[in-house]
Amino acid sequence: MESRGFNRREFIKLGGIIPAFFALPKTVSATAPANRLQYAKESTSICSFCGGGCGQIVHTENGKLVNVEGDPDHPVNEGALCSKSNATFQIVNNDLRLKKVLYRPAGGTQWEEKPIDWAIKEIAKKIKETRDKSFVAKDENGVTVNRAEALASVGGAALDNEECYLITKLNRALGMVYFEHEARLCHSSTVAALGPSFGRGAMTNHWVDIKNADCIMVIGANPVENHVISARWINAAKEKGAKLIVCDPRFTRTAAISNLYVRHRAGTDIALIGFMINYCLENKLFHDEYVREYTNAPFLVKPEFGFNDGLFSGYDAAKRAYDASAWDYQTEKTCKHKDDCAQKGTIPAEAKCPVCQAAVETSTKKDTTLNDPNSVFQLLKKHFSRYTAEVTSKITGVPAAQLVELAKTYCETGRPEKTGTILYAMGATQHTVGTEYIRGYAILQLLLGNMGRPGGGINAMRGESNVQGSTDMALLFHLLPGYMGIPNAKLHPTLKDYNGKETPKTGYWSNKPKFLISLLKAWWGDKATKENDFCYDYLPKIGAGHKGGGYSWIAMFEAMNEGKIKGLLNWGQNPAVSGPNSNLELNALGKLDWLVDVQLWDTETGNFWKRPGVNPADIKTEVFVLPAAFALEKEGAVTNSGRWLQWRYQAVNPPGQAKRDLWWLDKIYKELKALYLADKNASFPDPIVNLNWNYGDEPDVHLVAKEINGYTTADRKQVANFTKLADDGSTACGNWIYSGFYPGPDKKDNKAASRDKSDPSGLGLFPNWSFAWPVNRRIIYNRCSADTKGNPYNPDKALVKWDGAKWINFDVPDFGWKDAKGDMITPDKSAAAPFIMLPELHGRLFAPKGATKEGPFPEHYEPYESPVKNLLSSQQFNPVSKIWDGPANKRAEVDSKEFPLIAITFRLTEHWQSGTMTRNLPWQAELMPEMFVEISPQLAETKKIQNGEWVKILSSRGDVLARACVTSRISAHQVNGKSYETVAMPWHYGFSGLVTGGQDRTKNYAANQLTPHVGDGNTMIPEYKVFLCNIQKIQIS
Amino acid sequence: MAKGMLVDLTKCMGCRGCQVACKQWNHLPAEQTTWQGTYENPPQLDWSTYTKVRFVEGQNNGDFFWRFIKTQCMHCKDPACVSACPVGALYKTPEGATVYDEGKCMGCRYCMLACPFQVPKYEWHKAIPVIKKCTFCFDRVAAGKKTACSQTCPSAALDFGEYDEILKKAEDKIAKNPGKYINHIYGKEEVGGTSWLYISSVPFDKLGFNTTLPNKPLPHYTWQALSKIPFVVGGMAVALTGFWFICKRRDEIQKGKE
Repeated sequence: MESRGFNRREFIKLGGIIPAFFALPKTVSATAPANRLQYAKESTSICSFCGGGCGQIVHTENGKLVNVEGDPDHPVNEGALCSKSNATFQIVNNDLRLKKVLYRPAGGTQWEEKPIDWAIKEIAKKIKETRDKSFVAKDENGVTVNRAEALASVGGAALDNEECYLITKLNRALGMVYFEHEARLCHSSTVAALGPSFGRGAMTNHWVDIKNADCIMVIGANPVENHVISARWINAAKEKGAKLIVCDPRFTRTAAISNLYVRHRAGTDIALIGFMINYCLENKLFHDEYVREYTNAPFLVKPEFGFNDGLFSGYDAAKRAYDASAWDYQTEKTCKHKDDCAQKGTIPAEAKCPVCQAAVETSTKKDTTLNDPNSVFQLLKKHFSRYTAEVTSKITGVPAAQLVELAKTYCETGRPEKTGTILYAMGATQHTVGTEYIRGYAILQLLLGNMGRPGGGINAMRGESNVQGSTDMALLFHLLPGYMGIPNAKLHPTLKDYNGKETPKTGYWSNKPKFLISLLKAWWGDKATKENDFCYDYLPKIGAGHKGGGYSWIAMFEAMNEGKIKGLLNWGQNPAVSGPNSNLELNALGKLDWLVDVQLWDTETGNFWKRPGVNPADIKTEVFVLPAAFALEKEGAVTNSGRWLQWRYQAVNPPGQAKRDLWWLDKIYKELKALYLADKNASFPDPIVNLNWNYGDEPDVHLVAKEINGYTTADRKQVANFTKLADDGSTACGNWIYSGFYPGPDKKDNKAASRDKSDPSGLGLFPNWSFAWPVNRRIIYNRCSADTKGNPYNPDKALVKWDGAKWINFDVPDFGWKDAKGDMITPDKSAAAPFIMLPELHGRLFAPKGATKEGPFPEHYEPYESPVKNLLSSQQFNPVSKIWDGPANKRAEVDSKEFPLIAITFRLTEHWQSGTMTRNLPWQAELMPEMFVEISPQLAETKKIQNGEWVKILSSRGDVLARACVTSRISAHQVNGKSYETVAMPWHYGFSGLVTGGQDRTKNYAANQLTPHVGDGNTMIPEYKVFLCNIQKIQIS
Repeated sequence: MAKGMLVDLTKCMGCRGCQVACKQWNHLPAEQTTWQGTYENPPQLDWSTYTKVRFVEGQNNGDFFWRFIKTQCMHCKDPACVSACPVGALYKTPEGATVYDEGKCMGCRYCMLACPFQVPKYEWHKAIPVIKKCTFCFDRVAAGKKTACSQTCPSAALDFGEYDEILKKAEDKIAKNPGKYINHIYGKEEVGGTSWLYISSVPFDKLGFNTTLPNKPLPHYTWQALSKIPFVVGGMAVALTGFWFICKRRDEIQKGKE
């Protein structure tokens, strides 16, 4: 077993050394077992794997970690933990952890150990050199853009909120635009779909709430494996009679406990959901009042809007983009006092109401009967009428009868008292039409009246302990903290332009200038004044990006591969395994001048220069590896999938030279500031030297947390929440949506640390446990949980209730319920504005112009690589997705003979993401030791492959080795009368760590060597989840 | 007083949190494993693996199933291993755990042969080997905690508590959910009853459970058989005593060296 890089003895030793720290006495006393934790110190933490946010109890003795187990008091997990979380102990006590600063010079063949100070100085020098050399002060139109285009930054989802916030602050001060992280790859399409549908881009409910569902539909996800704690609440719902539906090409461990399993072909979810929408509408199973009152169903759309052969009106084939001007509502002029005035209808041309002489206002035309052919409702019906059982069955491979069973079962939740929830994750998001998948869920949930209600919602399950937080902190090229867009050179040359164009007149975003200016005050303090537009010009402004494709993940690596990016900072991510088309991306890393890699482990990204098959001497990239501290070795907050901010405490010290990311950031910034102060010729040093950065000699995480919450600039008092923010420079706030989590000066004011387990509603809201953004709302859009009169649709699931005179609230209302004077706002008024974050204040069945790029309704297109032609239209592929050509990014054709099999990638509960956090843990390695591929018994028979044998999987971009897992859990689909086989493989494996990918680790290691560089039309999230491949039996001795 | 554990196989989704929680709590090292053509690993219970989940795929009434069966010591009410242990190293605690005293164990491996569930494992790799197996976390239970596996079970498939209450829960579940479970509580009667009880929607024989075990406690059979061959027993006792003496002596020499 020499080729594996470790032998049995070492393996056992590694597992054995760890317990040896505190070995039990030789003889365990049988009669009176010693409580081995009786002298241990106890603290709490939050698990650092998925977005569950499970509580942990951490035991230490004499500064050593001796035990980690589930926190029985924690409402999410009640003491439970999955296998990974149980192995947390081995993250801290592990000889493979990085303990030294490592450096590899250009062309070097091995690591050199270096002092910390040297590394910080060198790194700051490199950042400055690269920035100054590539700095673009103004664009071709003379607009100040302040872009450092040769610098890039990735990673951060495993870090604490405070660390993520400082990454954003530092990167933007540097002028960075190639700024991305895990969220681009996992849930960017979620934000792009949920934001335009409802107003916010996050999971609408939370983990415990799943127990309140009457039906749970899992599609594009495998929650019990990848978000394990969901199983607890799914089972709790099932015990009360709820049904679990699982739609997945693969029979997963979630499918194993389901009531209804639907096996559809990968990449056809829009057809599946489209059929469900059609069935719901045709059979009038929708929630009538909800649809009429809380959605834009009655809104009238411009008559010029149309749809033909897979394209909406306004398509420009040359640009692969739409002119969306027709995707808009009809407007009319009405009397401003129409509620009280006799003039109810349209006023043709007068400037005043002909009846009461009041002013005239422009509003959207509606037809409350829903019969107008231009009403959203009728357009929706027409659009989805094409998704019949027959056609959908031919596309998806699901028998028509089962399609009906699926639709019938889930549409039961359209009854007013019932609720159903949709759980999804990467199986939905990682498609070239990922955004439209989720738009489909949004439409279905609005029709069934499931949004804003206990047991309902669309639950986008986040896969990293703080990927929700890192997304909120905007570690993404197109955003600023709190989901404000980054200024665009063309649209927003000045602050006035930004505020003018980005601030809607209605809805809560009308307050946007308050949030932006408070952010600028948090970043540039006293230097940000009204006179200088609060340093608006310090922010970089984005342009068209690389080849007009923006600055997102794929564009970044394409630019890097062309040598346009010189330096990359990586905060804990492992793109060498997790990036799409990883052969291309590994090659791109070799085009960098330098790479800074902040990590717990020796990862495939840090040591890409010595990967199998390359000569290190040929790779000229200088690499700095900074050892990082693990969650139990530092303090800070993480935000779970349910938007709960939870505080973690330090239990032990980091090993060796390992430091908190916050510490590394602070030192690098301070060194940079000194360099810029010293250099009179530096490129635009102002945003860096004037950056408001005072967190102490040893950076205090609480100071950062308090800045995120926001404070008054005159007397530096913490603000209560974002309603106190102002646009005149009197307040500063690092992230408006988090405002309220640290409203006072002391540690006791930190609501992320609050652990009051009271639950007055009995619905599992736990309003005083941690803090949920925004303003501690546990279920967002909760006005929709009650009818227009304010009576809960289901009295047993009451979030808010109008008692005739006042609102009784179990959750923080997500609607106007009290006016400025404190008087109650009656239910009829709030019923007219249930979605406060949208300008039209109603849930969007129809997504108007500016919402998504593909069109107002989801439409089925085949994946980038598909074995079949699109049966619904002549548009084979998403018409607005950007195609990245190039020899390293080949595409298999429709009905390819070379690559006839559909490939999907997936995750296992035993490993986590790119595997560095689990493949280095002996306990996890034991559970899932090797790369494998799941194939059906029929395919195995055809290819003469026996279970357990080594096979090679090939795509047009690469090949990998894996061991065959022959199982009936996977099988062929009948698509339009022909059979198509699917193969499935986990993407956790790589060439580095305790366990690796293929047996022959000199060549083959990661599933993402097969995946294409292609993304969806809105966010460019890569299409990891479906492509074409072939499989061969191979001989390995 | 006696504790019980109910395993609801309709709830278990095979995450194996229990497998790692057990290793974490008991300081058990990882084995080096290889892909076995199934998700299951390590291949069997061992000195370093007190519990493992078996993964079973099959067909039941025309439906495909994938079930996950946690295996470990069943903690029989009247355990064959205890009756077979010549030195009294194995015994029952009042909480129902079948535990062993490593200081007394002489490594004869009779318990391994006696156990109807093939649970006790031997430290083959050690100079002074002893028997290893699940202890029902009697140390945690004595400290007022749940067993490591049941506390950590995310799906709530494992339910730990007073045996009588656990048995009642199992009976209630079957009675109140007609058609969901098969009408059998595995472990209620088998070998006279075990502390671990299983309920399932798939017949136990399809899940690899030994459904041929008698309902009488095994020691009953052991003694029936043994009483007929006293000479063998006597002879064995002499031989084993000698063996025990040698082992003990070796242990002392080893200790002396240390």
